[in-house]
Amino acid sequence: MNTRHFFWRLLLYRPVFYFSNLFAWMVIHMAPLLPGLITKAFFDHLEGTYDFPYGIWGIAALLVGAALARIALIAGGFWTDANFRFRISTLLRRNMLAHVLKEPGAKAIPCSPGEAISNFRDDVDHTEEAMSWSVDMFGLIGFVIVSSYILISIDAQMTFFVFVPLILVVTAAQIATTRVQKYRAASRAATAKVTSSISEMFSNVQAIQVAGAETRIVRRFERLSDERRQSMVKDKLITEALSSVFTNSVNLGTGLILVLAGYKMRSGSFTVGDLSLFIYYLTFVTQLISNVGNFMTYYKQMAISFGRLKDMLQGASARILTAPAFIGLGKRRAAAAETAGAGGVREQGDGGRSASGEAAVGDAMRTTAKARREEDRLGADVAGTVQADPLQVLEVRGLTYRYPETGRGIQGIDLRLERGSFTVITGMIGSGKTTLLRALLGLLPAEGGEIAWNGRRVETPADFFVPPQSAYTAQIPRLYSDKLRNNILLGLPGTDGSLEQALHAAVMEDDVAQLQHGLDTMVGPRGVKLSGGQVQRTAAARMLVRDAQLYVFDDLSSALDVETERKLWERLFRDRGEATCLVVSHRKAALSHADHIIVLKDGTIEAEGTAEQLLAVSPSFRQLWHGEESHAGAK
Amino acid sequence: MGHYREMLGRYVFTQRRLLIWLAVLLLVSIALQLVNPQVIRYFIDTAQGEGSLNALYYAAAIFIGFSLIQQVISVCAAYYSENLGWTTTNRLRADLVEHCLSLDMTFHKSNTSGTLIERVDGDVNALANFFSSFMIHLLGNILLMLGILLLLFRENIWIGAAMSLFVVGAVFAIQWIRKFTVPVWTKWRAQNAELYGFIGEHLEGTEDTRANGAAGYVMNRFYDLSRRMLPVRIRAFMGFGMMWSTTIFVFALGNAAAFLVCAWLWKRGELTIGSVYLVFYYTELLAKPIEKIRTQLEDLQKADASLIRVRDLLSTKPQITDGPGAPLPAGPLSVQFNGLTFSYEADGEPTLRHLDLSLKPGQTLGLLGRTGSGKSTLARLLLRFYDPQEGSIELSGVDIRDCKLHELRSGVAMVTQNIEIMEGTVRDNLSLFDEEINDAEILSVLKELGLEEWFASLPDGLDTVLASGGGSLSAGEAQLLAFARVFLSDPGLVILDEASSRLDPLTENRIEAAISRLLEERTCIMIAHRLSTVQRADQILILENGQIVENGPRAELARDPQSRFSRMLAVGLEEVLA
Repeated sequence: MNTRHFFWRLLLYRPVFYFSNLFAWMVIHMAPLLPGLITKAFFDHLEGTYDFPYGIWGIAALLVGAALARIALIAGGFWTDANFRFRISTLLRRNMLAHVLKEPGAKAIPCSPGEAISNFRDDVDHTEEAMSWSVDMFGLIGFVIVSSYILISIDAQMTFFVFVPLILVVTAAQIATTRVQKYRAASRAATAKVTSSISEMFSNVQAIQVAGAETRIVRRFERLSDERRQSMVKDKLITEALSSVFTNSVNLGTGLILVLAGYKMRSGSFTVGDLSLFIYYLTFVTQLISNVGNFMTYYKQMAISFGRLKDMLQGASARILTAPAFIGLGKRRAAAAETAGAGGVREQGDGGRSASGEAAVGDAMRTTAKARREEDRLGADVAGTVQADPLQVLEVRGLTYRYPETGRGIQGIDLRLERGSFTVITGMIGSGKTTLLRALLGLLPAEGGEIAWNGRRVETPADFFVPPQSAYTAQIPRLYSDKLRNNILLGLPGTDGSLEQALHAAVMEDDVAQLQHGLDTMVGPRGVKLSGGQVQRTAAARMLVRDAQLYVFDDLSSALDVETERKLWERLFRDRGEATCLVVSHRKAALSHADHIIVLKDGTIEAEGTAEQLLAVSPSFRQLWHGEESHAGAK
Repeated sequence: MGHYREMLGRYVFTQRRLLIWLAVLLLVSIALQLVNPQVIRYFIDTAQGEGSLNALYYAAAIFIGFSLIQQVISVCAAYYSENLGWTTTNRLRADLVEHCLSLDMTFHKSNTSGTLIERVDGDVNALANFFSSFMIHLLGNILLMLGILLLLFRENIWIGAAMSLFVVGAVFAIQWIRKFTVPVWTKWRAQNAELYGFIGEHLEGTEDTRANGAAGYVMNRFYDLSRRMLPVRIRAFMGFGMMWSTTIFVFALGNAAAFLVCAWLWKRGELTIGSVYLVFYYTELLAKPIEKIRTQLEDLQKADASLIRVRDLLSTKPQITDGPGAPLPAGPLSVQFNGLTFSYEADGEPTLRHLDLSLKPGQTLGLLGRTGSGKSTLARLLLRFYDPQEGSIELSGVDIRDCKLHELRSGVAMVTQNIEIMEGTVRDNLSLFDEEINDAEILSVLKELGLEEWFASLPDGLDTVLASGGGSLSAGEAQLLAFARVFLSDPGLVILDEASSRLDPLTENRIEAAISRLLEERTCIMIAHRLSTVQRADQILILENGQIVENGPRAELARDPQSRFSRMLAVGLEEVLA
């Protein structure tokens, strides 16, 4: 898919909005034709070459009337523009987000979240601008056609000699503006150098202060800043020189008209009214040409942004971006698209049909509680797409994943989890414990190996290892800016007392009682800051509230004090019933309860067995066992 | 207004030459803008009469000439104003950076480098316009507006009066309509911040979401946001349309008024047709200064918030300030703690309590204790990142609060386990931009640390650029470079804060010799969590909860079976401390 297709497919998502927007802006851009004619009528009326039937007051009223009509058009134009822009950018963001949530969880984006946010924000914004400005470009064509007709009928020769050179000059300047990227890139690079030097300085502030290098660092910063000034000024000079062509083109055009009009005015074939009309239209022609220029710039930017958005997809088809989907407005029609991830992209070309239904924004406002409930049900459906037999035995053979950047990871891991067993994975920092869990759950795409559930091979672990099969607590769990209750339930109903049970099992009940708003407390980055231990236990509750056959947790107790940890393990062993557990931990409490312990080293299994066996045979296990307190201290 | 004047006086008014140039260019440009319509009037009126066409051609040529001159002037003005903006803001940026670097760790702990970028660059960028052309543009546009009105009065008092009324009305109407539109845009921006906050959270939490089957929950929240955002977006756009519409309507009214007054005067024979056109032209021209004055004032409002933040930052006082400048002797320093008590928060639990210690020049102290016992705090106090609440620290008899900070810090060096590699060449990273250190010195230090092989592998030698955070280096190499820095700065007291913790045993053996060299003729404090590290210490100090629990010569403590140190040697450090 190239940029043109991308553009076209976005347009087709809501064609009715696009074409009403196009129509509205074409008319808005053509509206200045009218005041120009009224001004001409005014001068002709004064001079007596033309008798306006309603007199001077009529002309004045007409002028105000034309302005009011244009205002009404502008209101309509902004309404369609806002609607269309919002819908396509929301569609893009929705599709990107949905795709990210379908990718292996530990590798969902190919860059840092910070960079990905800029994809979500800036690249989508650029696309939206380009889509919207295309409408203005078409508006120009309408204006040029009608105004040429009027001007030519007044004086064909003058029209030709004034407008053709002017349009050429302005267009050339416009093209040059879009082409002058060299200086722009240089100034951007200089800016990046300055900001990164600021970041460097302040992330190493202690080293700088220790070395007493403050003055030298500031001198270096001044040097970089000055380089930036030079490239910025150069950039500005070029763009300003080009843009002054636009601002001054009206004056130059007026001069040209004066040169040509002198003779004609003397002979009476060209009135002051004609002169005013020519000069009036001149302003708008140059303004509209700069609109085309804007579109060209935005379109180029959109091509770059499109490339970046494609990179975000990590190799998936770019059609995902523009696939029509429900975006939260109106009734949900394409609900099935939600689950399409596993089977690839759904090619449902019903964009046109649904658009007509959504043409009235009132629909969006009228979204009733009923529709909302339906959505929630659909949302829950998504979670339960796979339902496997109760776990008897989970076998893993030859599981391998290596991080492409470092070549480290896990290699040839064999694993067997019996129903109801409690298995602990342990090992030094960097031995591959977390990687093993991630590769097993499909949060990282395994390079090799087989996973079998009750002897049947699991084809796509990422889609399979979700509730009701398994639930998971990450090493560094994330809470979202939402109520504590929603953070735990993540869309489950939680009405049957399961929430209370999970809170109890995760030793969270006292903490909840102490929060001012209890379960309704807003938590996460924008809410109440919970302690590290509370975050971990919330995540544990999040996992336990999900009725799963296999619970997987990564270093659950790393931020807990001894007493809380003891309670947690105690309750877990008492309440887990038939559930199978796979745990990463160094803690003696976990290790001594384990049915089976796996010691990892450098990505492979170094030893396995029960704690007793391992203490006898494995020196590195002994080290871990004895070294536990020091880790506890270090944390 | 006081703070505006202060900042302008400090940064902008000092650039007198640029300012004068800018003002001259602007005045010429205003004059040309005012004169050109007069040329058209002359042209039209002359075209009505009889006689030679030459006068018309001259008028047209003058018009074109003036237009071209104006174009050149506007480009020059843009150049000067951009230059002025960057020169002044660069000075402000440098001042801010210098100031921030002089602030202590209390400040840097609560301000990440990300927020400082925002304040040193983001806020200052917002001030660029205010610093470069604000005054001149504001004055220039007011002058242009007044000039147009004056010339209209010159035509006829009634026209002048009508148009003045119109200008006042227009400014008022545009300000009035802003009241309705600005809050919606603020709301839209807040919603956007919420959206990207939401997306950011979920991009970081994909693991939790994915493995707990919560994609539906996330998407439903997204839909919910989108439902709330659409009406605000529409209102924000409509508000934008309203601003534009108001301008259109106000100017239609202005034109209509001009038409009526002109037609009346024309009928009484008081105006020529050229003059009528002149009035029409000036009315259209008025739109520009009105719009510009509005945007300039808006910019001022935006700049205001940034200006306040920048001033706050500049007025943040460092808690640690230079002493009167007592000199530290050259060579190894002795260390003396007298009843040292320190806590990070004013009324918090003390991290260090009544510490007394004395260390002779050239001796090495092994400092042991579990995490949180106050070991690293002690190191920070020696470098005056903080001052103790009670007691004092003396180096060779000099209270460190009497030293200049940079002198103290050139006498005391610290190597921590943090990797502190900046983006820049190997040379810059080792010398920290000190040009007095020559390449030969650097090379000999690298050799001493056994980094020859590593150095030989660098593509551009000392000019090889290292990535920020030492991306291309192993942790061990980064640590060795930190040692190299200390060698180059030649201090009298070295603090090694778990400095070898990132090194594997092999590398650690390799640099043993280098450390021995480093400690010759220097006093050293080694903070350690491994016993092997303190084997070279002359004196041992064990801290627990900020108090000394054991202190004495290493050999003596090792011999005494009752000492904690000998128990540590027997069963391992951690078991004893736990």
